[in-house]
Amino acid sequence: MIALSVDAWRAWAPGIDDAAGWAAWAAAPHAIVDHGEQPACEFVPPMQRRRLSRLARIVMHAAWPLCGDDEQLPFVFASRHGETTRTFAMLDEIGREAPLSPTQFGLSVHNAIAGQWSILRGQRGESVAIAGEADTFEHAIVEAAALLDEGAPAVVAVVAEEVPATAYDGWIDDVPFSYTLALRLSHAADGQGWHLSLDANEGAAPVRDFPHALRFVRALHDRATLDHPWKTRRWTWQPTA
Amino acid sequence: MNELERDIARLIVDTLALDHLRPEDIAADQPLFGQGLGLDSVDALELALALQNRYGLRIAADSRDARAHFETVRSLALYVQASGSPCAG
Repeated sequence: MIALSVDAWRAWAPGIDDAAGWAAWAAAPHAIVDHGEQPACEFVPPMQRRRLSRLARIVMHAAWPLCGDDEQLPFVFASRHGETTRTFAMLDEIGREAPLSPTQFGLSVHNAIAGQWSILRGQRGESVAIAGEADTFEHAIVEAAALLDEGAPAVVAVVAEEVPATAYDGWIDDVPFSYTLALRLSHAADGQGWHLSLDANEGAAPVRDFPHALRFVRALHDRATLDHPWKTRRWTWQPTA
Repeated sequence: MNELERDIARLIVDTLALDHLRPEDIAADQPLFGQGLGLDSVDALELALALQNRYGLRIAADSRDARAHFETVRSLALYVQASGSPCAG
């Protein structure tokens, strides 16, 4: 079992990016129409900002305030699908037998956003980029817990997904709208405490209304226990006092 | 700035997503890399690809002269002209 504290969190989805907006969403979760909105990220200088994809902007916008300028914190980036927009643009170039854009190529890899975080924030410590299945969120928490156990004072863990190109319809069905959840996690006693445990899953996994990270946003508000079975794994979130 | 130089400046702004600049903000003799405009090695690759597509230039990655050609908008324009590309009018 993992015990940790959510010291701070920020989330973003089209049209929802402050605490009041998320409190309202958590009280009545609903699908959001994604019109391709993206955060402005004006705190990033223009020469660096031009290299941020929509997914990267969403991540930077949410995670930025969770790490002080004078802190060095490990960073966990987790996304099941990653930079589908960049990948699809390159597949299009290949299909047309056009040369690949070096920028698209270099920034399409799964750890590109973690690298951009490291450069933009002057972070010289560990960073991890992971992709899992529907329980990518829980795997990100396992990574964060391992970093805390190694002695990190806190960890910034971010789960983010962008709605992919329509060509992926029927293939990717678990990104109802683009979103991110950024958490600052520690073993502190004064944050919001949670236990995460993993058991074998015997039954089938029910179809979930929202991705695990967004269900956790709701649980951050109502402090309910979450049951997240997926294939052979059954994750349980329990709030602690 | 002549027409070809303006065309190259526009290509730089569009290709490298310099959304905070207009083509006319780049002086013909302003250094493009390092302390000048602030472009980096990835930009150099991207720009070489764009010049290739637009003017049919072939720029060898190990060309000793590439650094000199890429110094400014003006040096790029002279290089395009010297290469005798039909679209470099």
